[in-house]
Amino acid sequence: MDVNDRIHAQLVKAGVKLAASLPDDWVNTLIRRVERGNEIRHVRVGREAETIAICAGAFFGGVRSVAIFGNTGLLTCTGEMATLCLRHMIPVFCIVSGRGSIDDHKVYQEVQGRRTIPLLQAYDYPYKIVDKDEEIDDIPNAYEWHRLQKRPFILFLTKKLLGTKA
Amino acid sequence: MKANECMKVLAKHRGDAVVVCALGMAANEWWAVTRSEDSFYMHGGMGLASTFALGLALAIPETPVWVINSDGGLCMNTGTLLTEAGQQPRNMKHFVVDNQCYQTVENMPMVNQDGADYTMMARGAGFQRAVTIDNLDELDRKLPEIVAAPGPYFIRLRIEAETDYQRAPPANYEGPEMKYRFGRAMEKKLGIKVFGPRGF
Repeated sequence: MDVNDRIHAQLVKAGVKLAASLPDDWVNTLIRRVERGNEIRHVRVGREAETIAICAGAFFGGVRSVAIFGNTGLLTCTGEMATLCLRHMIPVFCIVSGRGSIDDHKVYQEVQGRRTIPLLQAYDYPYKIVDKDEEIDDIPNAYEWHRLQKRPFILFLTKKLLGTKA
Repeated sequence: MKANECMKVLAKHRGDAVVVCALGMAANEWWAVTRSEDSFYMHGGMGLASTFALGLALAIPETPVWVINSDGGLCMNTGTLLTEAGQQPRNMKHFVVDNQCYQTVENMPMVNQDGADYTMMARGAGFQRAVTIDNLDELDRKLPEIVAAPGPYFIRLRIEAETDYQRAPPANYEGPEMKYRFGRAMEKKLGIKVFGPRGF
């Protein structure tokens, strides 16, 4: 199993049945893996805040879900995450590419790399940076924990973990 | 037609539908007419009511889900029409109350106030069924057909801008309590588990 197969398997183990996503080249392989299987229904959206709304709505239907997108989208939708999810205490599990890291030299990821974590801390959104293969097994635990936190939770996937060339 | 009268007609034809209301006038007027707890009244996330409703509709495919969206909410997230049409949820109806203004903020004019046709936009996004209704008689007459038809169905409700409107949400509960009341109502109504055995 490659890394994306393992992430997918752990999401299934956590009981996830629905995914909403917007592409980012670091997480596209994971999105395709979700689409390829029949365990998780996939919803394509037009902007990242919609992934949050899809998951928030699914929560009230008793369905476990995941939002998958890039760090740029996280930066743009933190305010909507606050007014929807903090306002109503709705947990949403997000898997986000950890763009802008020291091994990411794309100029348009530079701001995300510097400002995302301080922004999450300002909103008090919990997060975990997954850099090692064995940490993928923590996804079911993280899923239960984020429900207890009653707010958006961000699981960052690093370039090193994903082994991406992009 | 006036918003309050429009909501009364919608409520008459609601049946078993779970309802999601955009924040502002849609939520305020629906609560004023129904006081229903198996409705979710958005107190934030402007523009996201319909996408939230889509997530709910996909989670409970055997239950009709209505969203009562606002024109301001739709303008803030027109991409929701593409997302919804892409999924073709058979159990979802998308109403938009269109009064051409941001009523709860002093009736300030809507963007492109006189030039937008949301029904045409819905068709262009991929809705096969999309209508505009501008009077109560027609709404009352067409709703049985709309309710019976498969979704996604887009219904633009042309209503009057009013000066004597609800300036604050009339419901006597909000935010976190909204979560638990609505979640418990879903559990009771549908026999599902929204919350775990320890309440979260």
